[in-house]
Amino acid sequence: MGFAMRMNFVDVVVSDSLKNYYVDGRKMGYQFQIRLSYYRGHFLSVIDEFGVKVDDFEVPADNIKFCINGKEFSPAEFDKCYTEFWQVTEPATIRVFYPGGLPEGEHKIDVTLFFRSPYMPIGPNHMYMPVDSCGTKCLAVTD
Amino acid sequence: MGIPVCPKSVDNKEEKMANVKTGITLFSLGTPFLKGELDLEGVIRTAADLGAEGYEIVAAQMIPSYPYVSDEFVSFIRECKEKYGIGPICYSANMDRGMLKDRDLTEDEMVARAVTDIVSANKLGCTVMREQYLLSPAGLARIAPFAEAYNVRVGIEIHNPDSPVTQPILDYLEVIEKTGSKYIGFVPDFGCFATKPNKPYWDRALAAGATLEQLEKCAKLRYEDVPMEEAMQIMGPELAKCPALGGTLNSMYGFVQFRKSCVKELEGLKKIMPYCFEMHGKCHYVDENLHEASIPYEEIIPVIAESEYDGYIVTEYEDEGGYGAVEQTTRHVAMVKKLLNQ
Repeated sequence: MGFAMRMNFVDVVVSDSLKNYYVDGRKMGYQFQIRLSYYRGHFLSVIDEFGVKVDDFEVPADNIKFCINGKEFSPAEFDKCYTEFWQVTEPATIRVFYPGGLPEGEHKIDVTLFFRSPYMPIGPNHMYMPVDSCGTKCLAVTD
Repeated sequence: MGIPVCPKSVDNKEEKMANVKTGITLFSLGTPFLKGELDLEGVIRTAADLGAEGYEIVAAQMIPSYPYVSDEFVSFIRECKEKYGIGPICYSANMDRGMLKDRDLTEDEMVARAVTDIVSANKLGCTVMREQYLLSPAGLARIAPFAEAYNVRVGIEIHNPDSPVTQPILDYLEVIEKTGSKYIGFVPDFGCFATKPNKPYWDRALAAGATLEQLEKCAKLRYEDVPMEEAMQIMGPELAKCPALGGTLNSMYGFVQFRKSCVKELEGLKKIMPYCFEMHGKCHYVDENLHEASIPYEEIIPVIAESEYDGYIVTEYEDEGGYGAVEQTTRHVAMVKKLLNQ
């Protein structure tokens, strides 16, 4: 990604939001929350690049669910989510399938998120202002 | 409600007077809202406290059920109006032409989105809607029957680098006049009348190591209408010394352009005044003596006061950091009221 605009009001990775999640009484993985780094919300279809690294290891996209509006989406589905609006003040929950969960203690969460500002064309042929909504934070597992 | 402003000439008793009200777009208080320092009710309360008689709401920023307006949200907005005395007067829509991954929205799709916004604006009780220029003049004409039926006057925002005299705006004017509809028009943003460099950008460049001499050289090139590429070339050696200067020079040719005089643009504003539904009182920095650093309000406000404009000037504070959003918005509203003799 070359130049991208940054408009930051709050941390992208939400503090104290990392915890394991359980299915049938067993740790099925972990989750944390992120905020959009912009002044307004967007439809998920504007996301051009999304990825998660935990403790410097890339999480396979297949294992990620992006949860908003009471629904869960995989990164491969973002382009079809043109009616799913992510509100700017509502955190999204990022749920990662990781049976056994994360061990106790601190973990480094890196989120890569670039999106197009869809009302700001910067050239012909579907070129729009890229916006950087990446974030990084060390979080302790809270459960 | 607003106090009518007497036009200079009162010879003709039939002459209609301007009826200018002051409000804010809640976007002005976006920073404390996004940081969680003020919730939406707090933002509306603050708007009332600082003298707004009504407010514009940026739908994609502050309406939880966007792009729709839920019954619950309507109730909340009504409760706020009872408590604080002010309600929404303009629904600020976005035209997200690039929302799909691999292609632009078609005109049909953009018209569909704009109609959804009109329905939402009406449900919220707004009789004005700000639309963005990506909806073409033909698209604007297509939504006129909906605007009329829902009693929502839709204005295309005239934003720097456009102005009331640039060709894209004249293209809209042609369509507006051809349809004869009173429900499609403009929302001019006063940023298009700027006559001085943008202060926050200027200060940021200074902080990043640019010298006053370098910045003044950039401003001179802009004032002299030297084409951007040429200006970049002339400033080349200086840009190499201070990369931050590149962004500043770029902005002078982008969304915060300025020129020696805005007389021509204000003449253009007079011509389109019958089609103006709301005005965006853009501000980047208002000093303690109530003077905007780059936009000549002392010239703009009299043009509106002496017209037959009936509507709001809403303060739109663009927070570039460095100043308090509440203080700047408060000063701007006070400045507009002062210039209107209110």
